[in-house]
Amino acid sequence: MFPYMRGASFTMKLHCFDKKFFNSSPLLVPVQPPSRTETHFWYVLPDEVKSEALLRKYRELLPQCEEKKVDSMRGDELRKGALLARALVRTTIARYQINTQVSPRSLEFTTNIHGKPEVRWHHSDDWLPPPLHFNISHTSSLVACGVTMDSPIGIDVEEKQRAIKNNVLSFVRRYFSRHEVEFLSSILDPAVQRQEFLKLWTLKEAYVKALGRGFSASPFNTFAIRFGPAKEGSFHLSGNSNSEACCKESEILVESLDSSTHDTSTWQFALLELAGSHYASICRRKDIAPEGKASVPMKLKVWKTIPLVEDKIVSGTDSAVIIGGLS
Amino acid sequence: MASVTGSSASIISSSLKQPNQAFTRMSTVNSVSLSISGNVFPSLRLRSAPSHFRVSCAAKPETVDKVCTIVRKQLALPAESAVTGESKFAALGADSLDTVEIVMGLEEEFGISVEEESAQTIATVQDAADLIEKLIEKK
Repeated sequence: MFPYMRGASFTMKLHCFDKKFFNSSPLLVPVQPPSRTETHFWYVLPDEVKSEALLRKYRELLPQCEEKKVDSMRGDELRKGALLARALVRTTIARYQINTQVSPRSLEFTTNIHGKPEVRWHHSDDWLPPPLHFNISHTSSLVACGVTMDSPIGIDVEEKQRAIKNNVLSFVRRYFSRHEVEFLSSILDPAVQRQEFLKLWTLKEAYVKALGRGFSASPFNTFAIRFGPAKEGSFHLSGNSNSEACCKESEILVESLDSSTHDTSTWQFALLELAGSHYASICRRKDIAPEGKASVPMKLKVWKTIPLVEDKIVSGTDSAVIIGGLS
Repeated sequence: MASVTGSSASIISSSLKQPNQAFTRMSTVNSVSLSISGNVFPSLRLRSAPSHFRVSCAAKPETVDKVCTIVRKQLALPAESAVTGESKFAALGADSLDTVEIVMGLEEEFGISVEEESAQTIATVQDAADLIEKLIEKK
């Protein structure tokens, strides 16, 4: 229906053809839902949303209980971030036009038994909702939503320059696995060590959120994220511990250290640098082809968006640089 | 008679120590990330139920103050921003990394060890202070 231009960035400002959408959301460009092998990733930069009128429009998309939660945040910036997160997830899912009844305002959300949010579709006799999954993460300066078809998904974003108040090694000794402690201890430059810590943190968070069972079901020291060898043909940085320790495009693997889990080989990760300023991690299940052959690599599509205003595909540009995984 | 009384006392005190056993686990870390989903999680209602255990052992004001200080420092809150026992971590803008850093700061400040299951139950400053005093008492 709407062709994509992969790898190129362009701005789409199309008026929505649907009258129903026009009334509730003047500029919401429909998008094809992700295929089983695709992952969609949408992000908003709060600093780019300045219009009070636009923020009011976002408010209009929310049911009362969500609005109350937004208003319970302390301070204008936190309220704005919370509002953008709700507006992002509602507009994103509505774009996929799962059925004609769906609009950003009409979507209902619920949680699974562990508290992970999910869409509450209205079933009917002749309609089965598609298995669309999503996950949200935000910092004060970036709000993101990942979407998959038929796979649990977890995402996490952090500012690259985020300060860690505790000593990094003390922190990881307390909370991470032994392998990860060894990995980070081997990095001598404190600035690089902090960045590698943040990358690991986002990957671990994304995994736990994909599992959807809560932090205590998967304590961080019960699994280890490992970086596998770089794939043939990918750019490999020097092994010097003072330089980037995580090879571009190297495989990211998770290893379970306790007996309770879960087939860790079925999880797939991507690590990105967004807008030059943030790390973003995505975790989802690999799509095992029906013939049982080796899984297809994750295809990632990234949009930078201002909901109801504009969208820009940024995958393949400097705004969304893949720094790990996706093999 | 004395032994019967003794055993019922120990049953009561052990259930006081573990009020959360019966309740569904709810991740504090995830609740920080998920709290803006706008849903009232069933387990949040359950979580407030143990408060009648806490009424009789609410934390000292000094403990609450120390927690407030650590929280302010971690979240770099402006001086005007009010932080009290009722303040919710999520509402103050603590994300999952902040929450774990705060718990670690509390462990170091008070010389205690907070297990993940207990950390999950902390939603407000008061929750943290109460848990701290409970853990100090156990030492």
